[in-house]
Amino acid sequence: MNSRERVLDLFKGKPIDRVPCFSGMGNITEEGINKLGYKFAAIHSDAKMLADTAASTYKLFGFESGVVPVDLCVEAEAMGCAINVYPHAEGILYPTIKEKLIHKEDEMDITLPSDLASKGRVKLICDAIKLLKADIGNDVVVGSYVLGPFTLAGQVMELNDLLKLSFKKVDKVAKLLDLMADAIIIVAKEYEKAGVDFITVREMGATSDVLSPRVFKNLILPPLQKILKELTASSVLHICGKTNDIVTFMMEAGPSAISVEQKNDVAETRKKLGKDALIFGNYDPYNVLVSGDENLVRSTMRQCIDNGVSAVWPGCDIWPTVPPQNMRAMMDEIKNYGGKE
Amino acid sequence: MADDAKKQEIFDKMKNGVIQYDEDACKEGAQEALDAGLDANEAIFDGLVAGMEEVGRLFEAQEYFVPEILMCADALYAGLDILKPHCKQMDIGVKGSVVIGTVEGDVHDIGKNLVKMMFDVAGFTVYDLGRDVPLDQFVEEQLKTDSELVCLSAMMTTSMVGMPKVIEKIKAKNPNCMIMIGGAPTSQELADKWGADGYATDASNALKEAIKMVSFLKKLRDEKLAKK
Repeated sequence: MNSRERVLDLFKGKPIDRVPCFSGMGNITEEGINKLGYKFAAIHSDAKMLADTAASTYKLFGFESGVVPVDLCVEAEAMGCAINVYPHAEGILYPTIKEKLIHKEDEMDITLPSDLASKGRVKLICDAIKLLKADIGNDVVVGSYVLGPFTLAGQVMELNDLLKLSFKKVDKVAKLLDLMADAIIIVAKEYEKAGVDFITVREMGATSDVLSPRVFKNLILPPLQKILKELTASSVLHICGKTNDIVTFMMEAGPSAISVEQKNDVAETRKKLGKDALIFGNYDPYNVLVSGDENLVRSTMRQCIDNGVSAVWPGCDIWPTVPPQNMRAMMDEIKNYGGKE
Repeated sequence: MADDAKKQEIFDKMKNGVIQYDEDACKEGAQEALDAGLDANEAIFDGLVAGMEEVGRLFEAQEYFVPEILMCADALYAGLDILKPHCKQMDIGVKGSVVIGTVEGDVHDIGKNLVKMMFDVAGFTVYDLGRDVPLDQFVEEQLKTDSELVCLSAMMTTSMVGMPKVIEKIKAKNPNCMIMIGGAPTSQELADKWGADGYATDASNALKEAIKMVSFLKKLRDEKLAKK
């Protein structure tokens, strides 16, 4: 069974030969970018460069997915936010939102552009998905990601205000999050049409480090359910930080799988959600994969598997300066250890 | 001068105002403190900061989350704005100025603002560079202001990696400058590796670290008062 079949079967709940090692979030490497001779700041606005870069982690290391986009600004940009790609940066800087749509509470009543699917870089990402599929789509799954409603709302308005209003003006925030869900659905549908195998919904901002499980259940869960109900591709719901108290809500949101990071006690999550739940995670992509040595990489991979992850998958974007030998050690360890019961 | 019971009542009003994110109570308490002729520094520390210490505890106990902390911070500032103009210069043997900002590539500034708040209450001169700050600007601002403390914040792994460059440049020019790094992806290991003097992983941690620092200053002040 090749990597693609392995991951697709995993999503279908069929038995597989070993735990796969992939990600639905950013996983491009400096090694890949340099080999292609591209400049990081340029790849975000060129479908071919984006697709080539996204394919390189599989081609160089055997990583079991290819994912575009690689930045977090696509939806907000399509809605009208200006972004900064840091064209003059020497090193790697990911794009950020330069200009918000909502500056104060009484500006929250916004509407979506009627042609959202053709705004910003949505089409460009779809082109990149098609190129990526044509390039490596027979060998590995091709994925894409969208933000979660709360995380996206934190981009289009001041996060500080959003957080306070989630407490003071719940109805207003709920209405905004519902609109964010609509925007996310429109973008995700385009990615599905372009042929992605799976979509990750990244609701980083709604971690229990920031919001109480109660607010998560009342405010974040409904728009997440709305989004995940609309998706036809396999889906993964990712939340950073502390998540042990909300993993059941994450499952209730209705994704095919949930993704958690290193702060989650996966053994406990496995106990809570049962043996059939798809739990992806949960190694620290920086402190293990980038700054750790090969031994730490290998022991962490074994630990993830022993704790019961369904797929070994990073807690966040893999930082591009990851040493190639660590990527190789990760893949090697999972191939050797990932089939053990 | 008000008697001790009246004084405590006023401080408690401010303290509870912060805890219950009641901006009006903090404003009233602060004004009452001034009207009663109480020392503004004492009102800040024993009223507002005492409230924030309790907020830090509630956060740790997971009774409060970030939205509550932000509202408590607003309440604290409401009182602080009234008391600050009446503060005597705190003579505690440090000059007390700090350069603070979120590093380039990161637009998250909540943790940074909470730390800034504690420096504000402690009477530090705060040079807030804001968010998405080009790395060299930290180095330039430190040199220009001769601040003894620089705080670098990053919420995302993807922006944190610029930190060691800033630390190296500042330490090369001014080895005595203290550097604190903050943000979800930071760790003691990274702080050690990069030569930073302290770190805080999240808002509560940052708040705790800053409270610790400010409480230490308060202790110095108390010792000084006791000697007099």
